[in-house]
Amino acid sequence: MSHRFELTRSLWLKALLKSRLFQPILMLLTLFFFVVAIIAGFFGTPAGSHNFSIIFVWIVWWALLIIVLVPFFGRLWCTICPIPSLGEWFQRRGIIRRIPGPLRSLHWRWPRRLRNIWLQNFGFLAVAVFSPIVLTSPSVSAWVLVGMIGLAIGLSVLYENRIFCRYVCPVGGFIGLYSLVSSLELRVKDLQVCKDHLTKDCVTGTECSYGCPWLIFPGNLERNTYCGLCMECLKACPKDNIALNLRPFGADLLVTKGRSLDEAYKALIMLACALLYSAILLGPWGWLKEWANMASLPHWAAYATGFLTANLLVLPGLFWLATLAAQKATSLQTPVKRLFTDYAYSLVPMGLTGWIAFSFSFVFVNGSYAISLLSDPFGWGWDLLGTRTVPWTPFWPGVMTTLQVMLLLLGLVFSIVITYRIGLQHAKTHTQAWRSTLPVASFLTMVTLAFLWLYMGG
Amino acid sequence: MSELQTKTSSRQSEWLARITLILILVIFPSALLGYQFWLRPALADIRTIEIVAAAPEAGGFQPDVIRVAAGEKVRLRFSVPDVAHGFAIGPGLGLDWSQVDPGEVKEVEVTFDQAGRYTLYCNIWCSPNHWRMRSTIEVYDPEQPDRLPVNDTADPVIASLIARQVDIDAPHEAVTIPTGRPSAARGQEIIAGLGKALPAELQSQVWQRSHSPVEAWQTLEVVGLSEAEAWDAVAYLWLAELDDAQRQAAGSLYAKNCAACHGESGDGQGPGATVWAGQSLDQHSGTHPEEKPAAFTELRTMLGGTSEIYYAKVRRGGMGTGMPGFGPIFTPDETWLLVEYLWTFPLQSKLPSGRQ
Repeated sequence: MSHRFELTRSLWLKALLKSRLFQPILMLLTLFFFVVAIIAGFFGTPAGSHNFSIIFVWIVWWALLIIVLVPFFGRLWCTICPIPSLGEWFQRRGIIRRIPGPLRSLHWRWPRRLRNIWLQNFGFLAVAVFSPIVLTSPSVSAWVLVGMIGLAIGLSVLYENRIFCRYVCPVGGFIGLYSLVSSLELRVKDLQVCKDHLTKDCVTGTECSYGCPWLIFPGNLERNTYCGLCMECLKACPKDNIALNLRPFGADLLVTKGRSLDEAYKALIMLACALLYSAILLGPWGWLKEWANMASLPHWAAYATGFLTANLLVLPGLFWLATLAAQKATSLQTPVKRLFTDYAYSLVPMGLTGWIAFSFSFVFVNGSYAISLLSDPFGWGWDLLGTRTVPWTPFWPGVMTTLQVMLLLLGLVFSIVITYRIGLQHAKTHTQAWRSTLPVASFLTMVTLAFLWLYMGG
Repeated sequence: MSELQTKTSSRQSEWLARITLILILVIFPSALLGYQFWLRPALADIRTIEIVAAAPEAGGFQPDVIRVAAGEKVRLRFSVPDVAHGFAIGPGLGLDWSQVDPGEVKEVEVTFDQAGRYTLYCNIWCSPNHWRMRSTIEVYDPEQPDRLPVNDTADPVIASLIARQVDIDAPHEAVTIPTGRPSAARGQEIIAGLGKALPAELQSQVWQRSHSPVEAWQTLEVVGLSEAEAWDAVAYLWLAELDDAQRQAAGSLYAKNCAACHGESGDGQGPGATVWAGQSLDQHSGTHPEEKPAAFTELRTMLGGTSEIYYAKVRRGGMGTGMPGFGPIFTPDETWLLVEYLWTFPLQSKLPSGRQ
């Protein structure tokens, strides 16, 4: 495999990842913070800036996820996420040990029609349309967290393995898609070894490991999308054929296998949401923010309709026109639907940088609340570390816009390069690839200009 | 390590993990909430009262009644979840804390010396229902915790108006008005010139408060002043009481409590006036949308009314309009001060530092 650096060559890292303690200890730790967030949401101050459930969930966690974990470590959050923990431990009848016997559940079969990420797309939109409220109201935030953990437990009772993570979790959907960019991957070292290995321990499980909870055969892994980095396969593989690699950013975006319309829509929804949130929260339209905040039910209904239309029809419609133009610009016979799906992966780098740029705007501005919250997580007037009265101070206000602009331009260039390389997968010549790239690149440029206008105080 | 040892250690880890899980899910939350809501208040030397300050349509002040013993030092913690609010407690306590922004928490320590009923109120425009954002603070005498002194007995000024069958809410339009704003500065010279010819009743505060500027003007015309001179003289008489310090205090009261609807310049065009025409206010307060906030700069509507009537309107509120009652917030003295300040809108002040 070219341009890869195998991290699991490090024996101590491999030993750590193979240990049955590794994942549960991290999950217990995040579960503890999760419980703190829920208690803060329900019993802490309703003033969001002084409540752990708002600042640590929607600013600190979110920043960690979108700025660090997803771009660099892919689905590493899924390794330590506390939401599926209780359901998983219920199924396994234990936390650390590999308890012999089948998983405890009603063993229902997940409907074939739902074996995609459409549910995650709609679930994300359902949360997104309420997000100005979810992100500011501690009690609503706590209900969302409780709802997620309840749903994960419920699904674990009905279905085996991580059905919730794989098909339902609204966060997992975009983490999976954006992990295509990330610089970390779990892959098999030699595919032939897997093919020749009859017992497939990574799927069935062994005495010291469970079968892949994400319903994946690692031998087929070519993209990060659905691998939750739980490291069960690493523990199971008797052939030492599983590796954790560092690799170039965006390597998976050019993998043709597995591309699908649900993922393409995910890419469009994420890009639309980044743009819409930037417009709602940073744009010059106060009324829009009021409508999103449910100034009144009819106003919110109008906002929600607009929000969903923009996500499901307007941006995809414009993108469809771009792909139609790409098809017309070349004499290729590839159906537009195919081009629409394939080219949508070029939106991933731009979507990710757009989200990072958007996140900068509230992480830099409001991140300092976290310092006082360390001392008073519930807003009860505690002062655990003596930092309660540390005042709110925006970090590096002069640098933020420059960083955002640089990021957005980086995303644009990255996306155009990916567009061209996807174009090459359909075209016979470089010229043809460039001609088909142009309409999509124009679409990407327009989106970037919209972002730049919003961030540069349009 | 032998297989047996490995198994034993893995069993131990499992039990440790299970205990940790119980600690996280059960023991930690119980201990935390027990400490915060039971042990901490029991150990605290000063009682903390948590107050959520949300816009009225989102619940207003919660709780809406707070009981405190007279002489008890308490800490009030205001949490502001939605939009900026201002905090003040009246009447007559001089407690006014600055604006608190959304998402913020503010703590203040306060001791109420006198038993009685006080009002905690928001004093910045926060919503179309802003004026509803009030809660009651019952300060009881620790010797008699069950008896709360009633300090909202009938106001003698309002009672007197009612006894005289003065319709407080009826329009009191002036039968005649000056061509421009009368000037107190010119009026001062005219009054000085009149000397003893100035009718004695015009100098009496009681008479002034119970009579309108038009009535005073009519009296002055009789003593031989021209129309314009008589108006200037009225302006002086009506504003003479208000010195610089009083004007500043009154201006601050006006800015915080009245300007949102009546406008900073008294023209009835504050931000509240714009929602007046909208349905939301009609829905929430049951008032008629066509009832606009009074414009104090309107000579016709202002100069026909008396200070007593305006005093009554401020303290009792305007019946059938959106004008709230400020009786639970202002002392009678503060109300008189405010009413005297209102006259600076239709009448031109004589003081160089004041409004010209």
